[in-house]
Amino acid sequence: MDKETLRKLELLNQLSLTDAQKADVLGFFANREEELNILNAMNTENTERMVHVMPIMTVVREDVAAQPFSRDDLQKGAPETNQGYWCVPRVVE
Amino acid sequence: MRYETVIGLEVHVELATQSKIFCACHAKYGAGPNEHVCPACCGMPGMLPVTNKRVVDFGMKAGMMLNCTINRTTTFDKKSYYYPDLPCAYQTTQWFAPVAVNGLVEIETSKGKKNVRIKQIHMEEDAGKLVHDISENTSCVDFNRTSVPLIEIVSQPDLSSAEEVEAYLERLKSLLRYAKVAECAMEHGTMRCDVNLSVRPEGSDKLGVRTEMKNMNSIDAIKRAISYEVARHIDAIENGTEVLVQETRRWDDLKGKSYAMRNKETAGDYRYFPDPNVMPVVIDDAWYDSIKASLPEFPEVKRARYIETLGLSEYDATQLTKSIAVCECFEDAYAVCGNAKDAANWLLSEVMSVLGTKKMTPDSLNINGKSLGELIKLVAEGKVSRANGKKILTAMFDDTDLNPAEYAKANDLVVSNDTGLMEKVAKEVLAGEEKAVADFKAGKEKALAAILGKCMKQLKGNCNPQVLREFLISEIGKM
Repeated sequence: MDKETLRKLELLNQLSLTDAQKADVLGFFANREEELNILNAMNTENTERMVHVMPIMTVVREDVAAQPFSRDDLQKGAPETNQGYWCVPRVVE
Repeated sequence: MRYETVIGLEVHVELATQSKIFCACHAKYGAGPNEHVCPACCGMPGMLPVTNKRVVDFGMKAGMMLNCTINRTTTFDKKSYYYPDLPCAYQTTQWFAPVAVNGLVEIETSKGKKNVRIKQIHMEEDAGKLVHDISENTSCVDFNRTSVPLIEIVSQPDLSSAEEVEAYLERLKSLLRYAKVAECAMEHGTMRCDVNLSVRPEGSDKLGVRTEMKNMNSIDAIKRAISYEVARHIDAIENGTEVLVQETRRWDDLKGKSYAMRNKETAGDYRYFPDPNVMPVVIDDAWYDSIKASLPEFPEVKRARYIETLGLSEYDATQLTKSIAVCECFEDAYAVCGNAKDAANWLLSEVMSVLGTKKMTPDSLNINGKSLGELIKLVAEGKVSRANGKKILTAMFDDTDLNPAEYAKANDLVVSNDTGLMEKVAKEVLAGEEKAVADFKAGKEKALAAILGKCMKQLKGNCNPQVLREFLISEIGKM
């Protein structure tokens, strides 16, 4: 993680970090890099790929439609709604 | 210098499920804004997704139809991007272990047959819809479409012309409709396509700069966009009119031009990582076998059977097997009327004619095939005239439970056995058709058809035309 990568991540996540926050993030990732270096040094040549750390699988549900929630309930905490829509800052000119 | 075009497609297909991929909300269109939503598909904190089994069924089925290998352990991943139509700021999709990989689809064009390799099919959720014309200062979000299940079919860059792209898309539509996993109606937005295109000198093994046109939803528009992009790329290469860059472009079909939208994201930009909230889906033998056993007869197998076993012509078999809805109607009708040629004729002439009048597509055919078989039998047995049969058929489109015999009786459409009435009408018509009678006597066969038509009109079609014809010839002979 370097300053350029962090700048790109800020852009992708629509974030604007202060210099102090940037220093924190870079410090955090520097430590993670050390941990990853230890993992990368391990020999995994004949190790089978895992899809999950536990032998676990998903529970599936049958394809039955229902509508237990009302729009009004879901929008109670919305800062702004209009004609049933959630309103967000305009994204096109 | 001669150039060749290299095209790969990413085709998004909305699956025909009742509910969404990770919650039980309705997956159907037509509701008011945000009426088909819940905390899960709105991305509320604390919500947890639960996978819809039928989505996995359909993902597997699509994979099998496209000759793919099914990943028996398939996983979901988070694809991060920030936009207001995506409430979690990530899309749950499949990146590391998609449901199906390494498939093959055969297409046919004017240049012959060709195989198109399928890289993968992955299951994912759709995004919501943004509306910009309700308020001046805000954009409005409708999450009804959020989490509606999709599969994305990613081809290898094996296509080289608009004609091949059209053949490929038609083939996908046909196979997926046969398997009943999707409607695949581009006009309804249930099938959308991203076109990745580059141009290189003929014979070169190095790919040119690739551009992507997103969210194309009409085959004709795709063909126009490909022609435009190929010309633009060649012009840039030969004349330096612009510097080609890897980017996402938008096709404006009205203006006939493509416009740069943004630099093409790379996989790294999306920061894919395994979704910790959706556990791996493990497909055991019983599940796999049940899907395998549910696969339909493939179109070309059905076509060959219609020709070899039912004795249909190559043309009729080809026309019928273009649509699974038409095939099913045909097979039900044939099972009842017992005459494959008759059933094919009714489907390909009368039924198609009514479909055209009602501006419906063959895939939306909704009449009851068994009832059609009953109708064909009534006409073949002379109990209902062909003309009145067409009237009954039209009514069958509005009432799928309609019983043709009962409808014919209730609406005075049954051929009458009253020969007295037929003879009376025939004699009246002949008396007023001296010229036609003379023409027929002089050898003009068509003159009899005109007389016959007038009689049938007066009898409202409720007469056996063969019996009437014989009576008319007999009467003319006496004149």
